[in-house]
Amino acid sequence: MKRSAQLGTIAALAASIALVASGCSSAPATDGTADNPVTITFWGAYGNGGNSTQQDALNKTLIPEFEKENPGIKVTYVDVPYDDLLQKLTTSAAGDELPDLVRADLGWVPQFADLGVLTPLSDTMSDFADLSKATYPGSLATNLYKGKYYGLPLDTNTRVYITSKAALTAAGMTKPPATFDEFIAMAKALHGTGITAFADGGLGAWNISPWIWSGGGAITDDKLTTAMGYLDSPKSVAAVQMLVDLYKSGDIPNLITGNAGATSTSDGLPKGVYGGILDGPWMQGVWSGQYADFKPIYAPVPAGAGGSVSVVGGEDIVLTASSKHQQAAEKFIRFTQTDQFQLEMVKTGQMTVMPALADQETKVADFYSTFAGQLKTAKSRLAIPGASKVDTILSTELTPAFNGTVSVKDALSKAASQIDELLKGGK
Amino acid sequence: MSRIQPSTVLRYAALTVGAAIMITPFLYMVSTSFKPQAFVLSNPPQFIPNPATLDNYVQALTTQNFGLYFLNSLIVAAVSTALSVLFSSMMAYAFARFAFPGKEIIFRVLLIGLVVPAMMLIIPQFILAKQLHLLDSLAGLVVFYVAGSLALNTFLMRGFFESIPAELDQAMQVDGANAWTRYWRLAVPLAKPAIATVTIFTFLACWDEFAWSLTIINDPLKRTLPVAIQLFQGQHSTQWGLVFAASLIAVIPVIIVFLVFQRYFVQGLTSGAVKG
Amino acid sequence: MSLLTDSTPAGSASLPAGVPTPARRRMSQARLRSLATPYLFIAPGVILFAVAILYPIAQAVQISLFDWKIIASATSDFLGIANYVRAFQDDQFWLSLANSGIYMLFTVPPQIILGLVIASLLKRKSPAQPVFRVLFYLPVVTSWVVVSLLFKYLFADAGLLNFTLGDILHLTNGDTSWLANRWTALIAICALGIWKGIGWSMMIFLAALQGVPQALEEAATMDGANRWQRFRAVTVPAIWPALLFVTVMLVIGGFNVFTSVLLMTNGGPGGQTEVVLTYMYQQAFTFLDFGYGSALAVILAVIVFVLSVVQLRVFRDRSGQDLA
Repeated sequence: MKRSAQLGTIAALAASIALVASGCSSAPATDGTADNPVTITFWGAYGNGGNSTQQDALNKTLIPEFEKENPGIKVTYVDVPYDDLLQKLTTSAAGDELPDLVRADLGWVPQFADLGVLTPLSDTMSDFADLSKATYPGSLATNLYKGKYYGLPLDTNTRVYITSKAALTAAGMTKPPATFDEFIAMAKALHGTGITAFADGGLGAWNISPWIWSGGGAITDDKLTTAMGYLDSPKSVAAVQMLVDLYKSGDIPNLITGNAGATSTSDGLPKGVYGGILDGPWMQGVWSGQYADFKPIYAPVPAGAGGSVSVVGGEDIVLTASSKHQQAAEKFIRFTQTDQFQLEMVKTGQMTVMPALADQETKVADFYSTFAGQLKTAKSRLAIPGASKVDTILSTELTPAFNGTVSVKDALSKAASQIDELLKGGK
Repeated sequence: MSRIQPSTVLRYAALTVGAAIMITPFLYMVSTSFKPQAFVLSNPPQFIPNPATLDNYVQALTTQNFGLYFLNSLIVAAVSTALSVLFSSMMAYAFARFAFPGKEIIFRVLLIGLVVPAMMLIIPQFILAKQLHLLDSLAGLVVFYVAGSLALNTFLMRGFFESIPAELDQAMQVDGANAWTRYWRLAVPLAKPAIATVTIFTFLACWDEFAWSLTIINDPLKRTLPVAIQLFQGQHSTQWGLVFAASLIAVIPVIIVFLVFQRYFVQGLTSGAVKG
Repeated sequence: MSLLTDSTPAGSASLPAGVPTPARRRMSQARLRSLATPYLFIAPGVILFAVAILYPIAQAVQISLFDWKIIASATSDFLGIANYVRAFQDDQFWLSLANSGIYMLFTVPPQIILGLVIASLLKRKSPAQPVFRVLFYLPVVTSWVVVSLLFKYLFADAGLLNFTLGDILHLTNGDTSWLANRWTALIAICALGIWKGIGWSMMIFLAALQGVPQALEEAATMDGANRWQRFRAVTVPAIWPALLFVTVMLVIGGFNVFTSVLLMTNGGPGGQTEVVLTYMYQQAFTFLDFGYGSALAVILAVIVFVLSVVQLRVFRDRSGQDLA
């Protein structure tokens, strides 16, 4: 690490001398070749959590492989705590000290694109069309902002319905509920068993979108111009109403309306407190550690009038506009879209963004198949700079609806009008 | 042999109960640090880990460069504390002993530094640090840690310096001592309790500081301990046993500093300097 | 006792009469040096403070007057006081300010009283004292992240506190949803604040109690004063600067509560336990609206500053000196 930092300094020095000598003021055309060695920095959260398998895969296998194929380009990966990465990026952006590449949370891409600090890859990468076709459409859509794509999916995930044998048996079922009706029936069947049918941790877009979409509703129109008429459409209202009714009959605990003291979903399902949750692939690792005897049962989100549609999560890789090594960085982005990179990261617990690799992914671990299937139809949350405000709006407006003080239609209409303001470009 | 007073027994009883309340959460933290893969804190609480394991400590200590992060934090905290104590005690002495134009205005301006939330200064300070070429350096941490602690330390020490009897100063003045001598030979030794307090607090603040260190340090080799411990928190879930173990390792120097300096609390203020 | 006030003949009484002129010139040089002395003492600190703290504060105030665009090359629109007007019309801001204030009111007095009581119990020399001191200091040194998590766990619906209250002490049903409701959640957050802060004020009072003149205490005892009267007449005046310091600092700290709220409730449920700093952080670092976030910070700073100055003036040093 130290050595490559030294080499990096020498490289940067050499590059700047070359720049001055050639009289160019922009990045040289042959950036990152053996004559013009460069070092690119890559910030991410791979190493978070004390489990170094992902960071090791990157540092010990993938980056050396890339550097071998591209002599003259050195990649330095810097691990940053995930919860603080946005703050660090924002401050660095203000001080013009951004790295070359970032493994960015989906919601940050439109935000930073709007600030103007990201390079529109759909414009600058000649093979962008091919690369983008190979990824899940929902994951790709998270990079779209004002008609241009500002990143490529790096890894993805989604939420599926997870339940337990104990809950199914108590409800007298052999298979997880596949439709809204079965879901409601399961809740009724669990009355009196001491198991609460379904739990979720909030009312933001991540929580409520799968239900709205599966119910045949929508958050906005396709062009992201208006939410009014879509968020409060009859189908959207019906989907949320289903949850509100279950909440009222005690089948959904107040964890969903913000009780931070309620038993968490990760605790509640294995302990038999909850009958079902929506969660992501990372739970497998958590449960195998703390609740080794628990065997989760994964199933698609119960289907409503819109089918079984879930919400896309994951990270995108973005290139900062201030990077002095655009070409070299783009080479690395291309590298992250190769089978080798994707499969290597699958082995460490990341899900691939390529549907074509889903079979190989399932060979690594069975349970991925449910997630891969769900990803085929999973949709992206609103890719707008104000995405985090959307979560706050939804939580704030829907909580009274769950508490019964406001009708679901009114709550969704109120939320829709506020979201419309965001869509118009307001703050 | 002295009779044991009932008041003494009562005193110790009260202290013991109080101490028990104070350390119970801490004890639970210690206990959880010996539990394997504690992703969640169990209910009902399990104070005795079963099975108990040292894995968390081993993992924390053998994390790449953990010793280096420890050392970085130690250097930064020690240097920052020393400089801060020096500068702020000088300021406090001036405020306590001299009357000069602008004195109270300057003191009130120092107070402003206390009331502004540090988070809002982070971007202007980042840009400033960049202009001063302090980015990605331990020196950048020291400069801003010292600056940030001056207001509190000066405020605290001014009160203590003011309660040193003026006669002692005047006695030295008559003997021909200049201001620096009086400060260094008289005020500082007499204000040992205050200086010990300030040392303990400043060391703790610098040792634990997270946001600024996260923001300006990019080179993993210059990372400090709080950031390293935060990295033990996962993106989707966290092994709290591991985080607790690392936090406990990190708490040791602070306790040591406390134990070393807290004995100065028992030294008398006027150890025979003024008679009558 | 000031060097600068001895310009009277009495001040130069230390010099023998009939000192020749060069010596007098050296004396005025000495006088100049003595005029500069206090400034020299405060110079290193003040310069560092001005550069690294004051200048950024000025910039933060400047940011609050704009619809601030993070990137340097973008032009930010000048808004004047629009951000401040927006704050005053923002219900969530007033709620968060109320919560910060409530937190301050309920955590400051207990920390002062309990800190002083414990310091009094611990001030005498004995082998057990360092042990107790460390034990009371432990919460102070434990990181906010860790203790917030532990207290969240303590106050959970199925947590230790409910278990104790319900199953052991039979005082309640044992199913209080502490964090589900604004007021009970504030109780939990305040409990954490008090628990964590007692050791801090204890430390300051320990140091201050060393300065209580033994002679006066003994004289008072001989005059027949009981413990409480001795405390009021001898101890309190002696530790007055420390009392004032602790109060001012705890008030500032109370209004600036942040990490514990963020980690215990994240301002929930539904923003009910939001405090000014969590709201400010959300505006600035989640929504990237730095102009508004800075305005919130400035408003809070002004409120706390005014409160601090008022405290320092009203509770001036017993010897009549202004401490600020």
